[in-house]
Amino acid sequence: MLEDYLPILIFLALAIGLAVVIMLATLVVARQNPDSDKLSAYECGFEAFEDTRRKFDVRFYLVAILFIIFDLEVAFLFPWAVALGDIGLAGFWSMMLFLGILTVGFIYEWKKGALEWE
Amino acid sequence: MSQSYLLVALPELFLLAAGLVLLVVGAFKETAAGARLVSNLALGTLAITLVLVLVAAPDRAVAFRGNFVMDGFAGFMKVVVLLGALGTLAIAQPYLRREGIERFEYAVLVIFSTAGMSLLLSANSFLALYISLELMSLPLYVLAAFQRDTYKSTEAGLKYFVLGALASGMLLYGVSLVYGFTGTIFFEELTALYLDEEGAELPLGALVGVVFIAAGLAFKLGAVPFHMWTPDVYEGAPTAVTALFAAAPKLAAMGLTVRVFAEPFGAFVADWQQIIIAVSVGSMVLGAFGAIGQRNIKRLLAYSGIGHVGYALVGLAAGTQSGVYGVLVYMTIYLFMTVGTFGVVLALRRRGQSLEQIDDFAGLGKDQPLLALATAIFMFSLAGIPPLAGFFGKLYVFLAAIEVGLVWLAVIGVLTSVVGAYYYLRIVKLVYFDSAPEALDRGMEPELRGVIAVSAVVTALFVVVPGPILGSARVAAGALFP
Amino acid sequence: MMYGLIVFLPLLGALVAGAFGRIIGDRASQVVTSALLIVAALLSGIALFTVPYGEPFTVDLGTWIVSGSFAVDWALRIDALTAVMLVVVTWVSAAVHVYSIGYMSHDESIPRFMSYLSLFTFAMLMLVTADNFVQLFFGWEGVGLASYLLIGYWYKKPSANNAAMKAFIVNRIGDFGFMLGIAAVFLVFDSLAFDTVFAAAPDHADHVTRMFGASVSTLDLIAFLLFIGAMGKSAQLFLHTWLPDAMEGPTPVSALIHAATMVTAGVFLVARMSPLFEYAPTAMAFVTFIGAATAFFAATVALTQNDIKRVIAYSTCSQLGYMFFACGVGAYAAGIFHLFTHAFFKALLFLGAGSVIHGLGDEQDMRRMGGVWRKMVFTYAVMWIGSLALVGIPFFSGFYSKDLILEAAFAAETGIGGFAFWLGILAAVMTAFYSGRLLFMTFHGKPNASEEVMEHAHESPPVMTVPLGFLAAGAIGAGFLGLPMVSGDHAFWAGSIHVRDLAHNAIEAAHHVPLWVKLLPVVAGVIGLAVAWTMYVANPLLPGRLANAVRPVYLFSYHKWYFDELYDAVFVRPARGLGTFLWRKVDLGVIDDWGPNGVAASTLAGTKRIVRLQSGYIYHYAFAMLIGVVALVTWYLLAVQG
Repeated sequence: MLEDYLPILIFLALAIGLAVVIMLATLVVARQNPDSDKLSAYECGFEAFEDTRRKFDVRFYLVAILFIIFDLEVAFLFPWAVALGDIGLAGFWSMMLFLGILTVGFIYEWKKGALEWE
Repeated sequence: MSQSYLLVALPELFLLAAGLVLLVVGAFKETAAGARLVSNLALGTLAITLVLVLVAAPDRAVAFRGNFVMDGFAGFMKVVVLLGALGTLAIAQPYLRREGIERFEYAVLVIFSTAGMSLLLSANSFLALYISLELMSLPLYVLAAFQRDTYKSTEAGLKYFVLGALASGMLLYGVSLVYGFTGTIFFEELTALYLDEEGAELPLGALVGVVFIAAGLAFKLGAVPFHMWTPDVYEGAPTAVTALFAAAPKLAAMGLTVRVFAEPFGAFVADWQQIIIAVSVGSMVLGAFGAIGQRNIKRLLAYSGIGHVGYALVGLAAGTQSGVYGVLVYMTIYLFMTVGTFGVVLALRRRGQSLEQIDDFAGLGKDQPLLALATAIFMFSLAGIPPLAGFFGKLYVFLAAIEVGLVWLAVIGVLTSVVGAYYYLRIVKLVYFDSAPEALDRGMEPELRGVIAVSAVVTALFVVVPGPILGSARVAAGALFP
Repeated sequence: MMYGLIVFLPLLGALVAGAFGRIIGDRASQVVTSALLIVAALLSGIALFTVPYGEPFTVDLGTWIVSGSFAVDWALRIDALTAVMLVVVTWVSAAVHVYSIGYMSHDESIPRFMSYLSLFTFAMLMLVTADNFVQLFFGWEGVGLASYLLIGYWYKKPSANNAAMKAFIVNRIGDFGFMLGIAAVFLVFDSLAFDTVFAAAPDHADHVTRMFGASVSTLDLIAFLLFIGAMGKSAQLFLHTWLPDAMEGPTPVSALIHAATMVTAGVFLVARMSPLFEYAPTAMAFVTFIGAATAFFAATVALTQNDIKRVIAYSTCSQLGYMFFACGVGAYAAGIFHLFTHAFFKALLFLGAGSVIHGLGDEQDMRRMGGVWRKMVFTYAVMWIGSLALVGIPFFSGFYSKDLILEAAFAAETGIGGFAFWLGILAAVMTAFYSGRLLFMTFHGKPNASEEVMEHAHESPPVMTVPLGFLAAGAIGAGFLGLPMVSGDHAFWAGSIHVRDLAHNAIEAAHHVPLWVKLLPVVAGVIGLAVAWTMYVANPLLPGRLANAVRPVYLFSYHKWYFDELYDAVFVRPARGLGTFLWRKVDLGVIDDWGPNGVAASTLAGTKRIVRLQSGYIYHYAFAMLIGVVALVTWYLLAVQG
């Protein structure tokens, strides 16, 4: 029972070991020249610690939403592609319809200029 | 999937396809003229859909593996909802133009939302219910915030969205409980599950699920205690959008509520009756008392809408065929009164400025006699004064309640109607007996004129020719009680 | 289709004149309403020649109310009785419409007047074509409303307003009985359709209702209640007081509503309900009694009145009494026949009187008339025709119908029939007398009007005289035209008037009375005219001396038997006193403080509390939703399941 978990233990040990080795290596090998920007955590081009109610550009939301839509599309396409043999022609055309609707939306956002940053 | 499947859902499919086409058309013609073109095309689309629903076979037909049902009940409610969408879209055009927010997205969003409502009325499983409910709601959230450069409109949109999401969550939670305790989400299977058992009892968990589902639906209806969003959203949203809120989604939600309680849970009237009664009494009382202190006509109409949902639910609380019949008659009449009333609000202007305060009705009788007459008709009808249509709506639901012994419920209904009459009549008093320092604008757009006239004529002459509405409502109610 | 047109053309006219009168102008309003009415009148004429003798039928217009076993349709019932009424209503109405163009030419709101007239005509047509009690009631109230509007047409005149209210309130008493009657019909027959009710009536002949510990025949009770309604509408004794006051309305209104059509609705009702009344002998006796008493009473009052329109008004009252006792003895056909002829000559008399009033500058008092016949020969001639018809001089229309009524009363060979016959003969003498008095005082003798008025006295314009001529032709010819109505075999009616025993019906019997009975009414008429001539032409001082000699009797008649004073003392004053008391003490003192004001205060408080909940914060709202769900679930878990 317990021996089944041995590979996991090995993986765990390897991962921790590798991480420690790499961090030690950078500390030893790399040249150190820190400034404040380099020391702060990186977060999408924003200050990491400040008032949460700050305004920032609505275009970030727009891009995020567009990303989610097409991300989900891909997430939907994978199982569909795997199961295509079983769901037949109806399944095929359903996805085509879905993609068609998505395309209409895509045309709309293109025409609206949602894809241009400036 | 056979051909006939598609045919059963033809109106909805047409509506969705047309919506997509209009979206593309609008995207390529982004001018005021384009917006007007899309809006007119949308009106045509809704009208064609209405015809498609009307000519559809009246027999019960199930499609999409039991997820979609078309029967007399769905047909009737779809006609009513489409009429509401058509009327409110027609009166929206001149308003949007005046407010400078004439964008083609408006009509497209209305089309998508209407498609959601139509699907909602044909939902035959909880999955279909949830998806079409979201299809209906999402465009509405956007529409509420349509006047996005004003604080009130964006605030309304945000409130509606956040609370709507909460309500959707409750609904989903209820659905999952019901699924967990009964093993199915299909209405027909739920009906069949307890059909043969004598004295069957709903599992306790499923009962709790029903309460949660009722909460989600009551939110869409704007019924107490899930009504809190209505006054703020009604006031904040552009008036044309408010008109749509009051007319179409409310009717669709009512149709859905009736179907959910009458079909899958039809065997447990005694169980869910309590919820409906509680919600109904709360709505009637709050609708009557809440409206009294209001100064803004849209807020007042929000409370009025809460009250009217309460009255309609009296019919559902009866849980009989005549009760459902009463609900249908009530909601149909409510549609005409509401669309007409919002038409009047939209027509009310002084020096080109839209007016929203109740005191602005003063002097209407002098400045625009015909519009004043229509206002009086709607107000008297909303108050339920015979022989106008509103009276008959109340009559049928109260009769249904009395038939099953819920006399006290009908008494509460009558008492709150009396309180409600106060604020409707106050408007009539303002219209005819008070004068304003400055005259109201004369003249209005043909769309407004037409919608107000049709609504007023239906409201006033229902007593003379009630046959068409009563007859089809009777058939529709019969479809739920085979 | 044709029948639909007859009924709805006047409504169309009313709507056009009412809604667009201000836009299309006075002249167009007059032309539109009159033209539509004339078309309706022509179509009615066709109906009169096609409908009788044939099977009755109905024209369906659609379903009106369906509520459980209670179902009412909009439908027009077309049979011989309806056809006769259609002709009466549309012909007289058409004449009055045209006449009004001249008579009301100086009025300020002509479209309103024409609209009311057409509206009234529509309501009256609805009434006579009704297929069920609810539609009948619709028409019944419709004419009441139109009558109210028309009596109070000159709404700036307080007396006109009072008269309008009086008419409405007195009719309300009658309508109350009528409504109870309809309710009773529904209770007993479970239907309000005429066909069903009439067919079932014979089966309920022996049905008995227990009321206040006594047993009453159900049909008697129903017939009695319905007749109360008829009494109000037709101004029969005890409910008659509104009719003379209604003369405050414009004269064409008096001619149309208070002579030819609305007031005869009661008679129509009794005839229409003949299948019920035939099985209600007690109610029939009551109808006869009230009819005969009214005929006599109103005639005595008419003897001494000085206002020309009031004389004719009381005369109308009296003639309606004749019609009722005809129905009461089972001679419905005779009653309707008299209704038919009376419509023409009484409308003629009213319009003729209107012509005189118009020509003399709105003078209505006969004491200030006299000697004007040379100035208005045509009016004078038609007034004679109308009066001779009213008196029942042979070969004028009234002769046929009134004689027949009296003969039928005699032939009934019952105590109440005899009572009606003799009162009827007495009334006939008086009728002749007051008709003669009216003619002589108005047209003969020395002019009593001022020089100036006589100077301007003139004949009316053609637009007024042509309708007069038409009605005069009717006053002469309606008797011949209507004779088929009163053949003994009732073939004309084809079942629309029901008589229990067709072989021995009242009309047939009336044709076989002794010769002296047939002659007596004519003799009565001649005597009356002769006396009038003696008193007002041959010896003008006689009336004054006679009045002084029997002063109490004269005053009794002059003050209309003190009915108004009696009602004022018995009903109006106590009601007013009670009203004042309730208002001052009960309403202001008790109800307002405890009721509306108290409730209003607590309502406002409740409203404030509700509004305070509406804070505007999303988290408050979300919290309220969650609390709501939790409360509902808790309730279910604890109360419902536990």
